[in-house]
Amino acid sequence: MTLASLTENWKAFSYGFLDASAKREMRRKMIKAVAVPGCQMPYASREVPIARGWGTGGLQVTLTLLNKASVVKVIDQGADDSVNAASIRRFLTRVSGAEATWDTLDATLIQSRHRVPEEKLRSDQILILQVPNPEPLRPVEPNMSVARQMHADADYGRLWLTLYEQIVRSGRIMQGAAYPSMVNRRHVMAPSPIPRWDVPKLNMAEHLTILSAGREKRIYAVPPHTSVEPLVFDDVPYKVEDHGHLTCIRSGLKGFFMNEIPQEDGTAAHEVSDSHLGIKAIDRTSGEQVEFGETWYKDGEMQQ
Amino acid sequence: MAYVATRGGERAIEQAERLYRAQMGPIDAGTVAEIEAALPSLIDRVMGEASLYAPDLAALALAQSGGDLYEALLLLRAWRTTQPRLQIAEVVEPDQGFTHRRISAAFKDIPGGQILGPTLDYAHRLLATDVLQGDTFSPAPVEPARKPAPARHPSLAEWQKEQGLIADKPLQPVEKDDIPDLTREPLLFPAKRAHSLQSLARADTGGMLALGYSAMRGYGNAHPTVNELRLSEVEVMVRHPGGATFSAGRVKTSQAEVVTARGKTDLSIGFCATLGWNEVKVIAGATLDLNAPGAPKNSPVNEEFFLYHTEPVESSGFCIHFKLPHYVTFQSALDNLRAARAKREPAKSPVQTEEPA
Repeated sequence: MTLASLTENWKAFSYGFLDASAKREMRRKMIKAVAVPGCQMPYASREVPIARGWGTGGLQVTLTLLNKASVVKVIDQGADDSVNAASIRRFLTRVSGAEATWDTLDATLIQSRHRVPEEKLRSDQILILQVPNPEPLRPVEPNMSVARQMHADADYGRLWLTLYEQIVRSGRIMQGAAYPSMVNRRHVMAPSPIPRWDVPKLNMAEHLTILSAGREKRIYAVPPHTSVEPLVFDDVPYKVEDHGHLTCIRSGLKGFFMNEIPQEDGTAAHEVSDSHLGIKAIDRTSGEQVEFGETWYKDGEMQQ
Repeated sequence: MAYVATRGGERAIEQAERLYRAQMGPIDAGTVAEIEAALPSLIDRVMGEASLYAPDLAALALAQSGGDLYEALLLLRAWRTTQPRLQIAEVVEPDQGFTHRRISAAFKDIPGGQILGPTLDYAHRLLATDVLQGDTFSPAPVEPARKPAPARHPSLAEWQKEQGLIADKPLQPVEKDDIPDLTREPLLFPAKRAHSLQSLARADTGGMLALGYSAMRGYGNAHPTVNELRLSEVEVMVRHPGGATFSAGRVKTSQAEVVTARGKTDLSIGFCATLGWNEVKVIAGATLDLNAPGAPKNSPVNEEFFLYHTEPVESSGFCIHFKLPHYVTFQSALDNLRAARAKREPAKSPVQTEEPA
């Protein structure tokens, strides 16, 4: 028996880049996050080979969950071919041997920046949202220690107050993306800067959503079948972006979240933000056999 | 459409990286060795901020990043974090280091003496333009002192403690394997003392200088006096599996202790140490540490404020992330803006909008 026969050959990096101790911590923190929905769990957050603020939190979750049987989809602003999504996808497949896809239906892990796909996610899929700022209280309390105490006390009065002030000043709630939402009737979370259009997709969903902020070192989760309620007043209903009536100039799809493309003649055109949904629609028009999943929105209206 | 066109994906990012690397040309072991030999201060700064003492790796990172300090740091940190922890070295006491430089601004002379050591403090900063004309700039040789300075020095604070000038707080011994490790745990507040000192040790020199300087100018409550500044080399003592303790090598360290006497019956101390020789960093860091106790929340000398905002990998990464497309969040904000405007028409008043990072 030799020493070499008892050990593995030296490799420059571990499988999935992160070493075993980092992955163990990630697994423990993910379980805690699932156990207390919407509550931010601090974690060590290792450095990874992309810059902080570029999806390092999401990346650490995906790297931990990945295995050779995984099929990963990575999107940025809804697009699979966005440069940073391409970079992360290349890294994930390079260090894991996992398969990559652009099709939401085929993916087992979906790492996303700022969007939830339009096709409904299933219970065998995990959505990993990259989070720049995990703290919904940041606009009213920049100090993290104080904010942490406020969460413990469920002290969200100042958050309600800012929403009220927006109504007084502008006639409506002006919170754009990252709309503060109550999870499981206990913790208010920042759902990452997804548009208001996407927040209802997390409510009582079939899939697990893990939100991870690498730079801020916080991880939180929305487990399946958990309530996610945007903070609104009884007499002022929640309003998603007014995109239900828009049509995509490329694919002809209607009733989904759109990107506005300024035109030289002073007008604006729109293209569907979920880029692969658009590609599938174009393929279908050109006669290809394409499988579409059920979508959360139908005719521009969220289906409960 | 150029920006949207760069969504071309994998080929675009591949070629963009090649374009950047084309500026630097090939890198070989010679390039790395030259950087390591010619730029010891830069190597020290990078090793401190990377919290990885490895001059050759620091030089390699600088070569690979074309001298972009934040890129070099990220390379080193991302490499460092994957390395196994074989063991924790023995604790180093202040008087055990091999001292190269040790000065105090608090007294004219101190036990053990003031040791100037290597410094440009009193050099005239004249650019040696002759070098560009083809001359070689050869530094004059050092003349050894008749009587060499002692290699080890007591800590000045020990003398002050004996005088009753500094409160002699009881030691709180911690097993070395139980010392909290910032690279394996998140930084939370109120921070463990070990975490605070580790954060300062790996903080961004420039960021620490900016915040430390603000405190020195008056945005803190305490004016620092440099009690002791030391540049040393210390042995890294580790244990052989057979039981013997041995030195795995020496590392350069800097440490600064600053004091203030304002409004107290004894001196308050601020402390900062780092890997490598980096005097600006440890003086600025010790000044922040000195001002931290009791500082108002959200002031530059509040510990949470300065430790979060001087983390070089986090701060630089977030700064450059604003180059990434943000059109979904922007679209969401525009929707609010237009709706609010429509409501207000024809009274066109400015509308405030909330946009997340």
